[in-house]
Amino acid sequence: MFSVSPEIYAVLSTASRWLFAFFALMLLLFAFSWHHSDRKERRDRFKNLPGAGTVGELVVLSGSSELPVDTWFPVPREGVLGSLRSCDLVVPCSGVRSQHLDFSWQDGTGLLIRPRIGCEVLVDGVPVSRRGAYADTPLLHGSLLQVGDAILRLQLFSALSHTNRPFSPQAPVPDPGSGSWMPPAQPTVQPPVPDPYAASQPWTSLPVQGLVPDQAPPVAEQYPPQPLPDQPQQPEPPQAGQRRSRADRWKEDWSE
Amino acid sequence: MNRQKSSGRFRFAAASVLLAALIFLVPALRAGNPSLYLLAVLIPCLIFLCETVIARMFSLDRMIMALVLWLCAAGIAALAQADPDTALAQSLRCGAALIALLIGGIMMRTLTPSLLTSSCAAFLGLLMLAGKLFSPVLPFPLTEAAMVFLLIAFASLSARQSTVFALLLGLVALSLLLITGSFADAVLWAVIILLLAFAADGRLMLLLPALAVVSLLFFITFRLRLFDLSGSSSSVEALVSAGAIGADALPESFSSLDSGSLFLSLAGHYGLIFAGLTALLFLPLTLRGTSVASAARTRFHAVLAMGASLMLALRALAAILSVFGFLPLSGLRLPFLTDSLPDLCAQLFLAGMLCGISGQNDADLAEDAHLAMLAK
Repeated sequence: MFSVSPEIYAVLSTASRWLFAFFALMLLLFAFSWHHSDRKERRDRFKNLPGAGTVGELVVLSGSSELPVDTWFPVPREGVLGSLRSCDLVVPCSGVRSQHLDFSWQDGTGLLIRPRIGCEVLVDGVPVSRRGAYADTPLLHGSLLQVGDAILRLQLFSALSHTNRPFSPQAPVPDPGSGSWMPPAQPTVQPPVPDPYAASQPWTSLPVQGLVPDQAPPVAEQYPPQPLPDQPQQPEPPQAGQRRSRADRWKEDWSE
Repeated sequence: MNRQKSSGRFRFAAASVLLAALIFLVPALRAGNPSLYLLAVLIPCLIFLCETVIARMFSLDRMIMALVLWLCAAGIAALAQADPDTALAQSLRCGAALIALLIGGIMMRTLTPSLLTSSCAAFLGLLMLAGKLFSPVLPFPLTEAAMVFLLIAFASLSARQSTVFALLLGLVALSLLLITGSFADAVLWAVIILLLAFAADGRLMLLLPALAVVSLLFFITFRLRLFDLSGSSSSVEALVSAGAIGADALPESFSSLDSGSLFLSLAGHYGLIFAGLTALLFLPLTLRGTSVASAARTRFHAVLAMGASLMLALRALAAILSVFGFLPLSGLRLPFLTDSLPDLCAQLFLAGMLCGISGQNDADLAEDAHLAMLAK
């Protein structure tokens, strides 16, 4: 095979070693630059997709001084809810332990809640047990979650196939002895069409049937048109300085 | 495609392919060795093929793959000057280990944190560690492969909210590592499980007892003198003798060092500057791994990605520190710069897991973007 004389090789070898060191430096710089540009691109994508990685949001209906009403939390697919700052959902209310419950999203079922040992959790007024039966009481769209003194309502993105069952908020069981707050039956949202899956996000405009073809009966058959309940009084337009609801901001974000 | 992103990627790919060609071509010109000419063609082509076709085909993270491939190429180049045939054999080992990378990447798409996953991985990992007790003269080291399986089991148990069992498994593995005399691996494993338990659970009620047990185990081992803390002042002298740009023939002081550590050979042949800059490539690799972990959607993937990143980063750091005599540990080699096939397979499997989790993250993000697009 082709080879060069030792004299030429000596010069070539010394020069190439410096060249290799230069190339190694370039590789290092290019690697950092690549990583930086990838992170920037990812940040931009997340900026355009504010709901990425989450399944919905929990809105505070009753909280504490540290957790005012109408605060909302984006809900990841799985995580821990508690009063500790390292939790995925931080609920600083009395009665909420440092790590109160674990939650995980299951397609076709909903948000499964699993309380930690010795922690009490109510879903739509029904206590959730730690073992076995916790899968029977998933959080669905509009479900109410009570942990300690905090009451939170789940709003799911309707594009997710979050349930195969029709949503029917369970009537709260009056239990005067327990002393716990029992949520009144609430309408889920005020939708223009009788679609119980509708959340406040623009994804709600998508028909569930279109995204989840396996769901047998169409929504219209499953929920025949019924006279709408009395429309609640429309809130006054927000004045300057007044906090807007999360739903309004979602609509604006997505319309952009 | 984003212009800025593609620019960084193409620059890195072009530089690594060019360097991989030149680093084998220059020594080939000295003696006209056909093996070196073959490597000068084969390695750049393989890097190019993996970074373009294979990464795209299996939806793997290109940056991790590019960094890992270049580190493997540097390991082959470390042997090419002294013995081209050994370098050719090392390239075959790397090729075989690349299959482990692909398996790791594909496995991450299907692996779930089930009880079966936890029990199978824990059983295999503990069996490999215990195998050293029953057969002390195993022809190949299985410690790193065992640690990979144990990491999968640990992540699976953590994701299943069984932190106590995960810590118990970690402590049993630590005891086995200490009994078999793998002190350096035991230190790394202890740091990794404590950090992962802190990241995954964060309860001091579990962490403090675990820390106490780990300290007790190390104290007992230290009292019983089950390991040998040997310094490495000779390696510092050898590295200094190699100089800034190295030499074709290794200095005499290198003959007494660990022959399997390709980092030392690389420093001897190409100098401290080149070897140091190559070792610094573990920094972007670790940063990338932590980014993958933080972007993961599930706890299983997050713990696993963080564990894999920690395992590679801490091993690299410990190896460099021990080479320069700052750590009294022996037997540590830089990841991907080793001539041991099982170790290489285990390390590339870890890198493959990171690539697979990154690909899964991208797929999840693309799905979200698709849903958002439908909403408009």
